[in-house]
Amino acid sequence: MFDPKTRVLIVDDMLTMRKIVGKVCKEIGFTDLTEAADGALAWESISNANPQYGLIISDWNMPNCSGLDLLKRLRTDTRFKTTPFLLVTAEAEQHQVVEALKAGVDNYVVKPFSKDQLSEKLEAVHKKYSK
Amino acid sequence: MDVQFFKPFVDGTLKVFEIQCKMKAAPIKPFIKGTHPQPSFEIAASIGLTSSAFTGSITLCFPKEVYLALMSNMLGEPYTAITDELSDGAAELLNMIFGSAKVALNPKGYNIQMAIPSIIRGENLKTTHFTRQQVIVLPFETEKGEFHIEISTEGASLK
Repeated sequence: MFDPKTRVLIVDDMLTMRKIVGKVCKEIGFTDLTEAADGALAWESISNANPQYGLIISDWNMPNCSGLDLLKRLRTDTRFKTTPFLLVTAEAEQHQVVEALKAGVDNYVVKPFSKDQLSEKLEAVHKKYSK
Repeated sequence: MDVQFFKPFVDGTLKVFEIQCKMKAAPIKPFIKGTHPQPSFEIAASIGLTSSAFTGSITLCFPKEVYLALMSNMLGEPYTAITDELSDGAAELLNMIFGSAKVALNPKGYNIQMAIPSIIRGENLKTTHFTRQQVIVLPFETEKGEFHIEISTEGASLK
């Protein structure tokens, strides 16, 4: 599993959802959590972060800059090509999953989700980068 | 509109309540708006429904006590008032219910698109839908009281 000290960025335009994800992350054991209210603010935070974020958990459907747009932007920047990225979505139709995978997402979790479900997804993301 | 259209919204609501809100909800018999006394509410989230066959809206309505209990369960802190900070939770719940229903309905050809929800807050709120067709009310019961979903459609008739 991820080191509990991993810097985690939670991106969601809904404050309530940021709180829910943050609460579950704390329950999982993460201690270093930062929030951003949309993809554009997240990009700014990611670009300026020192040290870099070790995990990004982002909502998909946001105004201004969506989670998918943020992901695409990260994957075209050599600094963030391998930053672990988990998408959170309320809808996961097959064509959307394919689109996210093509853009370089590491995994996704569908809302509503339990602590165990998020934990499982994060474990899968961690395994991918531990090989 | 086939009545089966509404089932995924009921299923989605039960799923969201169980997994995210950790609160049991039970569906009560649906009715057509105007045929039963209309309960008032203090917060609602509404989202436009667009598809290739029809348009409409879905509105999720909560009385204060039910909403505060839900938020307390979801966020792990006790709440006594619906503040600005707490308001977007209604939209998030509706997003989850809508997303769940959309995934169940679109393979059947409904082609529903996701939209951005809006939130309405106030005392003793009531809704009015500017549709020529019937508005379906899906009520639910919880340990803290009842809440309901209103679904209006235009361009499709109930079967």
